[in-house]
Amino acid sequence: MTPTPPLHRKRRLSTMQLPRWATNGAMALSVLLLTIGCDSPSESTKRNAPGTGSASATGPASATGSASATGSASASGEAGAKSSQPATDKPKIALVMKSLANEFFSTMAEGAKKHQSENTAKYELVVNGIKDERDLARQSALVDEMVAAGAKAIVIAPADSKALIPALRRAKKAGVVVVNIDNKLDEDVLKQEKVSIPFVGPNNFTGAKAVGDFLASKLQAGDQVALLEGIRTSFNATQRRLGFEQAMKEAKIEIVDSQSAQWEVNQANTIAASILNEHPNLKAILAANDSMALGAMAAIKAANKTEQVQVVGFDNISAVQQAIREGKILATADQHGDQLAVFGIEVAMQMLQNPNDDVSDRETPVDLITANELAKNP
Amino acid sequence: MSSKTVRETSANNSRAWQQLPLQYAGMAIALIVLVTVFSLRSKTFFSAATFTTIANSIPDLTIVAVGMTFVLIVGGIDLSVGSVLALASSIFAILLTDRHWPIWGAGITAVLCAGVCGWINGFVSAQYRIPAFIVTLGMLEIARGGAYLVTNSETKYIGSSIEWATEPIANLAVSPAFLFAVLVVLAGQWMLHRTVLGRMAVAIGTNAETVRMSGIRTLPTLLSIYTLCGALCGIAALIQTSRLSTADPNSGAGLELAAIAACVIGGTSLRGGSGSVINTFFGVLIVSVLQSGLAQMGASDPMKRIVTGLVIIFAVLVDSLRNNQR
Repeated sequence: MTPTPPLHRKRRLSTMQLPRWATNGAMALSVLLLTIGCDSPSESTKRNAPGTGSASATGPASATGSASATGSASASGEAGAKSSQPATDKPKIALVMKSLANEFFSTMAEGAKKHQSENTAKYELVVNGIKDERDLARQSALVDEMVAAGAKAIVIAPADSKALIPALRRAKKAGVVVVNIDNKLDEDVLKQEKVSIPFVGPNNFTGAKAVGDFLASKLQAGDQVALLEGIRTSFNATQRRLGFEQAMKEAKIEIVDSQSAQWEVNQANTIAASILNEHPNLKAILAANDSMALGAMAAIKAANKTEQVQVVGFDNISAVQQAIREGKILATADQHGDQLAVFGIEVAMQMLQNPNDDVSDRETPVDLITANELAKNP
Repeated sequence: MSSKTVRETSANNSRAWQQLPLQYAGMAIALIVLVTVFSLRSKTFFSAATFTTIANSIPDLTIVAVGMTFVLIVGGIDLSVGSVLALASSIFAILLTDRHWPIWGAGITAVLCAGVCGWINGFVSAQYRIPAFIVTLGMLEIARGGAYLVTNSETKYIGSSIEWATEPIANLAVSPAFLFAVLVVLAGQWMLHRTVLGRMAVAIGTNAETVRMSGIRTLPTLLSIYTLCGALCGIAALIQTSRLSTADPNSGAGLELAAIAACVIGGTSLRGGSGSVINTFFGVLIVSVLQSGLAQMGASDPMKRIVTGLVIIFAVLVDSLRNNQR
């Protein structure tokens, strides 16, 4: 009786000869290579500054061999990274953002990186974002991780006005300076948790009011408009809605519909299309951010109502600037996104230098952007 | 009987015996490599604080991933886990804050509701032979809508009364939630290998038709597995709510993909019939260490996503190579 090989054991030629350790090793090796290579290509093109102490900057520094400042830096590998990092007293500042896929936040991050590259002697910067605007759990974990990573200050654009507070309270308890930018934390919850965190940012209410007022000047009393709100759980979405509503109320313009499109182009497009169907006499759509304004613009174009329906947005992203020049979008508000994180970082530095200073909220400018404004500053 | 057969049998036996610890070796090696790389790249990574942070942030994903492992093993899929988590979390918060229920009452109700969602997934897909993909996709929308409905689309703040579950125990550095998650993993592994339900799940995943032709009803097993997955989402919801002190109707978006990724990295087959709960746990650890490490290094956002994607593909690739070897 000769044993027949089991039928189900089909062996492929290509993999037959590989022993187990080889495949394990291959996986380990690939992970290793990936991780080592991962930050070099993108970072080295952006930063030419020689060896700063930050972990992210040592990659390109050792790779390009430009770490002459430290002298002993070797051109290869991790040993160089370790030895070339003398104990510095430069504080590490962690910038915790929302989705960096959103141009507004990536602009903000770029502004901060630029500021850091001009102030390499003063502080180190670590920038992190989350994959979409709703990933609260991840952002909360990011705060904990940044504390663990030894950050001296955290500048955060919270994805939710309430949910991030416990994590930030833990960070403060660990002695980390916390500054809130972009989306203001909920004051009631801050009080309840007995933490005070300064807010550095624009007044979204007045910004939205200015945009609404400008739109109202182009409309007549009794006209119908619709609102596209941001994610309703966030504070700036509420403030912008209230600002729009106030402007419309003062001009006696009727808001016939108000829905949340979650800050997103696609959703705004779908919702705007249905609003246009439902209200054939609609004269304008007020979107709480520019992404949604673009979505609304596309829906208006699809409905062939470009002449009839105006759109306004908020944020002044570059795509919308183009649309404003072409007259497809009427106005937006510029809250100087590239400077927002920098303002926050400056406040954080000030708090690090003078721990006893009582830093209160700081308002940053918001400007109305129209075709006229853009014509002045091409 | 030739001596050759005897030798082969004994060789097979000893091989099986050797494979027992080796089953987890691949995952463990990958994890160690990751930790080593990050430790060398970032001077702050290799610290107790980092590992405590990671340990205390993964219980919810771990528990959801355990449920997902079982669903994948029976050859199904559950896309609704994130939404069901949000729904359970919302129900828990509303009962606690607006209705002033005691914590245990609100918690049990939330877990039961999540279990019911899972039961519906299982019943509709198993009874009417509708692909689980479609049914759970429907549940994804339904549960998310339910979460918005009960919370009125607002984040519900609960406060520190529920934070004890996710705060590190003094002198131990890890939270009760983490210990519970580890317990769930061990119980899951035990259930998979030592109980009728677990073996039946593997049998159905391997060949449901054969099981049916053998005169065994598959419906009870499938219902149990989907209900279990739902209930585990409910428990994960309680843990996440505790960690954030808030219930957010938007929470858990994309959780299904994170959970499936963890299972697949851990070698669970999307075609059903094979998987290991402990390896899923390793999958969760790998994903979390990767996330945390890249964040500490300050890697750029596009790179983070590219690296994470590549690691998932490599993990599955290596696993498939290993399986072909056997």
